[in-house]
Amino acid sequence: MIMRTIRKNYLGPLLAFPGFIVMFIILILPVGYTIFVSLFKCDYMQFTDFLWFDNYKSLLQDREIINALLRTFYVTIISAAISMVVGMLLAVWIDKCTGLFSYSIQLVGLIPWVTSMVVGALLWQWIMQKDLGLLNFVLGLFGIDRVDFLGNTTIALYSLIFVMTWRTIGYSMVMILAGLKGIPQTLLEASGIDGCNRFQTFYHVKVPLLKTPLLISSIVLTLSNFNNYVVPSALTAGGPGTSTTVITIIMYRMGFQYYNFGMASAVAFLIFMINLVMVVLYVKAVNYEI
Amino acid sequence: MKSKIVNINVSKSLRSLGLYIIFIVMAVVNLFPILWSMLTSFKPIRDVLAYPPKIFNFMPSIEHYKEVFKNGFAHSVFISIGYSASSILIGLVLGLLFAYSIKRFNYPGRMIMFYMVLCGIPLSLGSAAMVIPNYIYFTNIGMIDKWYTLVLIYTAYNLPMAIWIIMGGIESVPIEVEESMRIDGVSRGYLIFGMVPRLCLPAMAAAALFIFIGAWNEYIASSVMVNSTNLKPIQVSIYDYLGFYGRQWGPLTASATAAVVPTLIVFTFLGKLLISGLTQGAVKE
Repeated sequence: MIMRTIRKNYLGPLLAFPGFIVMFIILILPVGYTIFVSLFKCDYMQFTDFLWFDNYKSLLQDREIINALLRTFYVTIISAAISMVVGMLLAVWIDKCTGLFSYSIQLVGLIPWVTSMVVGALLWQWIMQKDLGLLNFVLGLFGIDRVDFLGNTTIALYSLIFVMTWRTIGYSMVMILAGLKGIPQTLLEASGIDGCNRFQTFYHVKVPLLKTPLLISSIVLTLSNFNNYVVPSALTAGGPGTSTTVITIIMYRMGFQYYNFGMASAVAFLIFMINLVMVVLYVKAVNYEI
Repeated sequence: MKSKIVNINVSKSLRSLGLYIIFIVMAVVNLFPILWSMLTSFKPIRDVLAYPPKIFNFMPSIEHYKEVFKNGFAHSVFISIGYSASSILIGLVLGLLFAYSIKRFNYPGRMIMFYMVLCGIPLSLGSAAMVIPNYIYFTNIGMIDKWYTLVLIYTAYNLPMAIWIIMGGIESVPIEVEESMRIDGVSRGYLIFGMVPRLCLPAMAAAALFIFIGAWNEYIASSVMVNSTNLKPIQVSIYDYLGFYGRQWGPLTASATAAVVPTLIVFTFLGKLLISGLTQGAVKE
């Protein structure tokens, strides 16, 4: 965009200043402070010993934390991948629809995304109860034995992945659909004239043009799943055992159950660094110019 | 010739049948938990745990709602409305000023501001990493457990997304319109606070919607930043009922229903804005 209104006064920075201050104080400053705190032994908010990197050392030696981190990656990536694939299929399928039908299917798809995670996880917990849950009742109608969705260590992990995916499929669908609608019709006609069949058109024309929405939504979903504390906490509370203990649950317990804020800060900083990688990718993917 | 037409019609109707099936499956999977919870919340206490589950053969009662609202749920609802409304108001004003400044002025540091917003967007879509930093920092400067704590947090978390959406709105207002208004003697203050918001009203509404959803649904920061009962927002109350009522699903589903219905109402009317906000930047125009 051509800047026609370059002014020499200070009005521009002045207008941005209040928003900048709010974001700086609440989003940026605390992160710096956390790095500082993570170098201390800090129980119950009392800074006692300066430890250098001992918190990080014990963090990397703790099997439980490493396992939780790996488990988080597993849950995050599987859920995001399923969500992307199903979202893609749905989007391609309903691409041809227009008007009210297309709008209402998007609306219905986004309901889990706008429903609060506390409520969503709570309701699934109610439905997945072993003895009285509706899901087992429905399975029973088909003659399938009761499944302990939340009490079995292996199944609980997949129940968690299911609920996380349930929440995000609509989002990827809407993003990809917007990308599909943005593809010029002339390109598709041209590929048809050149003799592409449906699959070839999809793979060689549509997918490359969908790069941006695909990248953005997979990054956002990865980030959102990785940082998700509420769904695992409300659905299974990390249990049974440690089978669904993700890294955010470790962080929360470290801070607000054991009051070991030095360690909690170290874990938070670790999560933050992983987020940062994702955010850099996001900024690159958005490719937006002002 | 005729058989071909019939063929096309058959495949077309098969296709639309497939679409309807997809739509129904999606509606069931997505809406079902909410509908089931509504149904459960109206069951009398002895029917909640009935097995096989009762679908329609029960006398509806509102005893669970009565119980939940007796235990201070109404207060949480009101305080959450207050938090959301204040966050929307502050967020819209700050977001408008910030977006206008980035879009219409050129000054050193403008790109830094822009990248700050861009980095903040994915974080506002869900970041647990900010909870510990915010808690420690707010505790040390004594801003924890105050009436304004959560308003500030909600505003800051959702501000990047709001700015991003309003920036898209301002972009759609031709700069010539503003210039001609200036020539006509419209003051800059009225231009920014009066005309620009009016010209990009859909973007402002979409930003407000995002702040509302963000503020209304936030749980993790709210659960640690306030301790006083009378400052607890709605999501924290629901989560607390999980421990408080144990496995009493009647009150739990009643509170969940009461929390979800406002979002659904807002979403049904303003869904278009939500979709346009979400997909902004994903599609090249």
